[in-house]
Amino acid sequence: MAEVEDEGDYDEDLDDGGGLDASGHGKRKRLFSKELRCMMYGFGDDQNPYTESVDILEDLVIEFVTEMTHKAMSIGRQGRVQVEDIVFLIRKDPRKFARVKDLLTMNEELKRARKAFDEANYGS
Amino acid sequence: MTELADPARIMPEMTSPTSEERLEQATTEDEPDVAASVGDESQEASSVAQSKQDRTTASVAAQDQEEGTSGLPAAKRPKVEPEKKKERRGQSQKVDEDEIQKMQVLVSSFSEEQLNRYEMYRRSAFPKAAIRRLIQSITGSPVSQNVGIAMSGISKVFAGEIVEEALDVCEKWGETPPLQPKHMREAVRRMKSRERIPNTKYKNILFH
Repeated sequence: MAEVEDEGDYDEDLDDGGGLDASGHGKRKRLFSKELRCMMYGFGDDQNPYTESVDILEDLVIEFVTEMTHKAMSIGRQGRVQVEDIVFLIRKDPRKFARVKDLLTMNEELKRARKAFDEANYGS
Repeated sequence: MTELADPARIMPEMTSPTSEERLEQATTEDEPDVAASVGDESQEASSVAQSKQDRTTASVAAQDQEEGTSGLPAAKRPKVEPEKKKERRGQSQKVDEDEIQKMQVLVSSFSEEQLNRYEMYRRSAFPKAAIRRLIQSITGSPVSQNVGIAMSGISKVFAGEIVEEALDVCEKWGETPPLQPKHMREAVRRMKSRERIPNTKYKNILFH
């Protein structure tokens, strides 16, 4: 009479790739496995991090991006995500704020340098 | 920009290039993928780099880091406003140059394993296309390139914070890397209590 629990619900191993995984997200393909492995090594983990840890980290990153996107959609111009919104959301976190500023500044510099380079080629 | 030096230039050449050379090097890197070279070129925030250095090179790095970020003492600060600005830029440039040199010294003294790890630390990045696709699947409308660049940069910092916290947990529990899921989960729990992880699922209703 009572409901029989599916084995799939408790299936936390990676044997069953088609069933629910540990976070219950279903069959989503792993987007960042390779990059995350390198990243974890760079940040101090072992050269071969555990696959389960990489999966947990990927889920965390995707949740982070999702949360930031939703927050960004609700401020500034509604329904759109703009850089200013992201910078605003990040303002309290010094590391991330500095990093975003650096990246955007660098990007501008690179664009300017490339433009100057192309013009130099064209002119002479 | 940051006060810290740009080790990406240091690693291949071990010279001290000016900013023009830096741009030239940057433009000769992966042409199609701007932001990857942007990620390579700019230095991570100081605290992230510091903890990494702490793990690899102990006291030397810590000393260098502290000297670099302490700035100049008040006695050297000029009194006049316009001069102050020029001096401050000059001072920050000087601090920049100092940092660059210190980073050069540091990176040149890395062992091979440390060099490998440092290279992974600098070069690893989230693919901007995938991040942009993820954001667009949430918003339903296209987002600009800069949003992709910003979001992948922030995500990398976020991943780094979690890994650092998890390594702290691992060390505290007297265990060794590789990190296990229990370390990751404890790290997330700690960061959640410090509100370092955004969570808009539960609203705190103050007056019920």
